[in-house]
Amino acid sequence: MSWITVFWSINLGACLTLAAFYCAVWCKQRQTWAHLLFSCSAVAAAAISAFELGMMNAQTVEQYQTLVRWVHVPTWVLTVSFVAFVRLYLRAGRRWLAWSIYGLRTLVLALNFIFPVSINFRAITDIRHFSCAGEMVSVPVGIPNPWGLLSQVSLLLLLIFSVDATISVWRRGDRRRALLVGGSMIFGAILAWHVPLVIWGVIEVPFFLGFTYTAVVAAMGYELSSDMARGARLAHELELSDKRLSLAADSADLGLWEWDLSKDEIWVSPTRRAQLGFPVSGKITFEDLISRWHPDDRDKVRQALRDAIKNGKDYDAEFRRVLSDGSVGWVAARGRVQVNKQGNPIRLLGVSMDITGRKLAALEAARQRHDLAHLARVSALGELSSSLAHELTHPITAILSNAQAAQRFLDADEVDLNEVREILNDIVTEDQRAGEVIHRLRGLLKKGEPQTHCDDVDLNEVIGDVLKLMRSDLINQNVTVDTNLAQNLPTVAGDRVQLQQVLLNLMLNACEALSNHNSSERQLLIASKSENGEVRVSVADRGGGIPEGKREQVFDRFFTTKKEGMGLGLSICRTIINAHKGEIWATNNSDRGATFHFSLPIVRSDALSTVPSEVLDGSVLTTTEVSVTRVTAPSVLLGSAATGSEAEELWVSASTALLERKQ
Amino acid sequence: MITDQLMSLPPSPTVFVVDDDAAIRKAVSRLLRSAGIAVTVFESPREFLAQYDPNTPGCLVLDLAMPGFNGLQLQTVLGERGSILPIIFLSGHGDVSKSVQAMKGGAFDFLTKPVNAKNLLPAIRAAIERGAVARREQAELSEIRARLDTLTPREREVLEHVATGKLNKQVAGDLGITEATVKMHRARVIAKMKVQSVAELARLTERCGIRGTNSLKSAA
Repeated sequence: MSWITVFWSINLGACLTLAAFYCAVWCKQRQTWAHLLFSCSAVAAAAISAFELGMMNAQTVEQYQTLVRWVHVPTWVLTVSFVAFVRLYLRAGRRWLAWSIYGLRTLVLALNFIFPVSINFRAITDIRHFSCAGEMVSVPVGIPNPWGLLSQVSLLLLLIFSVDATISVWRRGDRRRALLVGGSMIFGAILAWHVPLVIWGVIEVPFFLGFTYTAVVAAMGYELSSDMARGARLAHELELSDKRLSLAADSADLGLWEWDLSKDEIWVSPTRRAQLGFPVSGKITFEDLISRWHPDDRDKVRQALRDAIKNGKDYDAEFRRVLSDGSVGWVAARGRVQVNKQGNPIRLLGVSMDITGRKLAALEAARQRHDLAHLARVSALGELSSSLAHELTHPITAILSNAQAAQRFLDADEVDLNEVREILNDIVTEDQRAGEVIHRLRGLLKKGEPQTHCDDVDLNEVIGDVLKLMRSDLINQNVTVDTNLAQNLPTVAGDRVQLQQVLLNLMLNACEALSNHNSSERQLLIASKSENGEVRVSVADRGGGIPEGKREQVFDRFFTTKKEGMGLGLSICRTIINAHKGEIWATNNSDRGATFHFSLPIVRSDALSTVPSEVLDGSVLTTTEVSVTRVTAPSVLLGSAATGSEAEELWVSASTALLERKQ
Repeated sequence: MITDQLMSLPPSPTVFVVDDDAAIRKAVSRLLRSAGIAVTVFESPREFLAQYDPNTPGCLVLDLAMPGFNGLQLQTVLGERGSILPIIFLSGHGDVSKSVQAMKGGAFDFLTKPVNAKNLLPAIRAAIERGAVARREQAELSEIRARLDTLTPREREVLEHVATGKLNKQVAGDLGITEATVKMHRARVIAKMKVQSVAELARLTERCGIRGTNSLKSAA
């Protein structure tokens, strides 16, 4: 055995090994067509080597003719594979050139089998033997086929194609790849020119096309393998990053999830998966997942997800979930919709967080605030207790007198049934009136649970309620109240009882401020108006006003000017108003007295899913310590002459009303 | 306004109810009508003052706490005007200081709401009775005063001395006139005062508050 046999055999074996390896890779990753193309080209290169070895050892002309004819099959495969590989893997090379090469090469293959001998030779007349690298090798002697030019043209096109593709890959910045793959192809395409030269008898060497192609195959193989190495490295990094993410997510008690919409399959990070009581593996559908949520919250979650998917908005929801041990926890979930090229949602990626601790703390804080507000309300009502009792004695007095009148009428000889009927009607009316008083009182006195929903509240009605409640007290204290209420006042969303409490507090304070004044000066003005998307209620008194510099302080907890006061009333008012996303502030009137204002945004209760969220999330807890910029703004009602025109107007209209009444 | 004022002369007694609560006005007036008592209701003390005829006998049922002009203020105004209309206060509160104030101001009674007919009706009847007595006394008194006005100064002097139980001789001595002159004056006085005896004369002068020289002088 000589070196030639050894080299060609090694080449053949190497190419086949590479082919087998990448074929196996392709079998596992069917979408990587470059691997298949590479595999084909390596098989073809091996085959060419085998044919060349055969030709070198051919002893008869017939033998040689057969080999020369059939070597075109692997050559066709190799050329087509190369070109397709460049187009697919390097995404380079001109399409028309590629198709020209496919076409021409196929034409060459067809003509090769049409001609009696091959496209290269019209006839092979003899085989010449000469010594090369210590071995006798055979080369053909015959008449070249002029159609063999087509083969050379295809080789030329391949060269042009390779150069063009190399340039474009180089320009793209992928220089190593351009040098390796493109360079080896150019090199191969140039070296391949030894074939016509041997055929034409210009040079005398054995065909070594197999080697030139092997160089290209090796370059391709190197590129693919470095890709695979990079892939492996990436996979490793990904795994690391995944572990880091899991660690971070677990530490922060975050759950990661991904919902494949087309398959309705949900992936949940392992820790959360275990928490939810799902087995370690196995498919989780949306319905499986939602079965873990609290029954009352499921529709809300569904709706939020539907919205997110339909509108492509981010999904953001807070809801309760029931853990496998039956305990209930709170979860905040956020998600983002992924869409495909057509813009259709395909996937939802998200994260969920356990907020049970925060919720419980907020609920506890809300409860404490609720209790405190209740306490303040009861104590405010305590100040009114004798007046409130008076309020009840009115209907009871009427009822008693009516009933006793009826008894007497019935004792008379001639009973006037109409009279008795009328009396009974009046008794019913008065009884209802007493009932309303009790109802109003009960509303304010009962503690109940922190409210979780909002009502549409007409603040004019709230003013009316409080005025009814305070009627007797105002009479007792000789305070006259004028109202300047806007008609068709828009409603605000809130807790009616709490808003009554705010107004009650403001009015009690105002009455207190008036207590040292002559009864003719004991005037209150209550105004309501709607502007700039909010409703504002003002309670103005003609008392001593607030000492300058204390206008903000009056809302502080434990700040009081009363002997018996606890200093909670106004701070609770501010807490309540802030929880309603409103503002409360105080101003001194330009002439005398002070005005307390509060404003609430005009929102319908159905626009809010729950009570103002601060009530639950606890952020309100600190708001009494936060200064409200509004207070320092100059545009205050009853302020300076420049800005207080509306206030003046308010007082003028009120004074006119007072005067008219006195006349 | 229901009024019995024009029904007869002299007017029959009427209860005036002043309360700012319409339902109470209606119910109380009904109760009084069931007891056969004439009622006139008023929404406020101002309305009452504007329409009240002092010649109508009866009594006033007055709510204590009313916006603006309250019951105690009305009592004061009536007192200033020399009204003898008995006042029964109705109050929602058992307010001690106000009830003391009302009683000091001469209130006939002070009842708390809700008021029972068993308490209210007798109180009203008593007040009407008291009103009638007072009215009668006032009428008599003004009659006596009218008669006193017909006396000459000397006759008044004689009256004062006689009313204190002095003998004619003493009177003559005190006044520096003859006993006969005293007798003549005394006879005129008895005729002018339309009494039968000196004893009756003494009772009349006592009711007028004439006790003797000093008191008469101060009364004059």
